[in-house]
Amino acid sequence: MKKNRNSFSLLMFSAAVITMGTFTSCEKKDYAIPEPKTNFQNDVIKRSLGPAVAGTSIEFAYAMALGKMNGKIVSAQVEASVTGAPATYLEHRSFNTNASGQDIGVIVGTPSTNNGNTTLVNFTVDTNAATLRYYYVVPSAGKGQQVSFTFSATSSTGEKVSFPMGPYALSKMDMVLDLPVKENAACYISIADNAIYTAAEAALHPEKIDLVYLFRNLPTVAFGHALVAPATEPIYLQGAVLPAGVNRNALISKAGQLRDQQLARLQFGIFIDDADFEKLNIAGSPNYAINMKAQTGVWVETADKKYRAYVYFNSINDAAQSAVISIKRYPLQ
Amino acid sequence: MNFFKIYKHLPALIVLLSVIWISCRKETPIDEDGLLITERAECYVSNFELLGTDYLTVRSKNPVIDTVACTIQCEVLFGTDLKNVYPQFTLVTDAKLDPKITGKTDFSDLSQPKVYTVVSGNRKVRKPYKVFITVKTP
Repeated sequence: MKKNRNSFSLLMFSAAVITMGTFTSCEKKDYAIPEPKTNFQNDVIKRSLGPAVAGTSIEFAYAMALGKMNGKIVSAQVEASVTGAPATYLEHRSFNTNASGQDIGVIVGTPSTNNGNTTLVNFTVDTNAATLRYYYVVPSAGKGQQVSFTFSATSSTGEKVSFPMGPYALSKMDMVLDLPVKENAACYISIADNAIYTAAEAALHPEKIDLVYLFRNLPTVAFGHALVAPATEPIYLQGAVLPAGVNRNALISKAGQLRDQQLARLQFGIFIDDADFEKLNIAGSPNYAINMKAQTGVWVETADKKYRAYVYFNSINDAAQSAVISIKRYPLQ
Repeated sequence: MNFFKIYKHLPALIVLLSVIWISCRKETPIDEDGLLITERAECYVSNFELLGTDYLTVRSKNPVIDTVACTIQCEVLFGTDLKNVYPQFTLVTDAKLDPKITGKTDFSDLSQPKVYTVVSGNRKVRKPYKVFITVKTP
């Protein structure tokens, strides 16, 4: 009986604690408008996605602000650990987004200047807040390296703030876009050069031709637009006469639903990265791919094992017997 | 007093009842793959698909499946990479396939048709199906 009394006491005590807790949590608290920080501050976000391929840009938005009574911003700069391509720049306009979702730029300084690996904008207006966009154009010399950035801004009082970003991998890949290929004309594709040649040009560099673009409208089978290695069987060349010496082989594997965003430049959120080429295994694949459609592609490995590539068909034109292709290429050696 | 004594032993009682319930359940037999063995004796292939490396069909027309002779005749498109295709079998309910399909399969040796055995739901009937591939040519 004594034990039961103890249990009852414990129960009552727990109920009292819960009731007090509820009462305390419901108590009204006075709200105070938060005081904005007035010290010099900065922040950065990376706006671009996908691998940093040479020629493309990595985009950042750099925001800086200080209290009205603490002076104004006089300059902003970005220092990259790997010097960007000459086209690298820091916007001299500060962007804000209006109610319609459009980005509105307001000029705040002189156009940026590149000095070595530093990009600088000097402010020409009296402002204490700005968001500048930075476009780091990936240099060819930086392939395979890591790049880091230091964003910094200086106020009229001499105060300086900075924000580190990175490191980011610079891709080993090369990319060429929108190469027109046409049956019996510019139809010789060199992965080594990332270029298209005519028969006459191919005859001058037969050792560089890895693929031939063909178009056939056959009555009984679907052939259409095709990419074949010069060394493929005659049945897949369909009577095409190749220039003397054009006889290299390649592994070709059709890929499905692989619409790389950088090659397609459409809404697809897929990116082929260095790792995809490193892990690619198309051993045992044939040396032809026929009946290609728009927005499809093929993986290619050259016979000398120097390159792996992804060839994407941006568009095809049956009437003109032509296509537009884009290529991402990864060096294996 | 007695009321509190009963509650004191309630957890033990629940455990005991659970054990009794579980031990009284009917056995549900499973095979070596962890699949349920049922009473179904039906054993056949109802559809056959062949996908290329781009995960699109490489068949040029519907397959011909003979459930008596246990053969599948499948014609594929000209230029199909038969070394790297993904076969897909649709089987009768509860049946399974032996050997299992784990990924890309090499169908390039047209003179040696591949054989897949369908095993019925009760695992007592086994029917080997031969897959004959032909390539459409220009």
